[in-house]
Amino acid sequence: MKVTLISIPVRDQEKALNFYTEKLGFIKKRDLPLEGGNRWLTLVSPEWQDGPELLLEPAPNHFEPSKVFQDALMEAGYPYTQFDVDDVEAEYQRLLKLDVDFSVKPTEMGTVKFAVFNDTCGNNIQIVETL
Amino acid sequence: MTFYEKELNRIRSIVYSSEEQVKTVIGIRNYIKNNCEANLNLDLLSNIQLVSKYHLLRLFKKYYGITPKQYLIDTRIEKSKEHLINGMSVTETCFAVGFESLGSFSTLFKTKTGKSPSEYQKEQLSRSKINLEFSTLEDS
Repeated sequence: MKVTLISIPVRDQEKALNFYTEKLGFIKKRDLPLEGGNRWLTLVSPEWQDGPELLLEPAPNHFEPSKVFQDALMEAGYPYTQFDVDDVEAEYQRLLKLDVDFSVKPTEMGTVKFAVFNDTCGNNIQIVETL
Repeated sequence: MTFYEKELNRIRSIVYSSEEQVKTVIGIRNYIKNNCEANLNLDLLSNIQLVSKYHLLRLFKKYYGITPKQYLIDTRIEKSKEHLINGMSVTETCFAVGFESLGSFSTLFKTKTGKSPSEYQKEQLSRSKINLEFSTLEDS
């Protein structure tokens, strides 16, 4: 078995696609139509294009518990998932200029530095740098 | 402050209570990262940070979840990918990143990435060629 997919619940796939590609810098890998206007929509890191794919999944619109869980994480400030970066401070500055909203500014915690931002699609996302 | 931040602060005060230990392991990791092609061993690392090698091993594993040796191998493999993409031969790459035997480099590379170094290189080089061809296709 291989790990190839990470799913993120989003309220609006098109909006998520724009945010994750234009602001975060991911690249669209697969985009195929499913029923009811839903898409199988995946992204990859530009520097690791055969790496795991990020699935932007419209689950909260179709499965109530997913919505409840997503809302609860958002309210508590918990990140839905995290991405690795080389330099949290540089990425924070870059994203601030793109009007990305951070709930946690770059913070050191032991052997990592991290920050948390809002992906505008219902999730907090954490970026992490190992020190 | 969010519930998440409160939880992090609580965990930080338990897990990362020793600033000195954190400083030591970060120093070791940086040293490995910056000198990964050298012939590193625990004796050398423990001399640099002035801690016993068993203590060092235990600390590194405690804070990073892997041993210094595993971290060294991962760092070398990552660096070897860069060399291969830049067109360096497999043999040259092997020695440039600090491995001493071509056999163990190839085996490790395959275990970590799923491909042998030469397969990886071929794939990366053909990919950049394809990208080039596609971009000329779009231009014309």
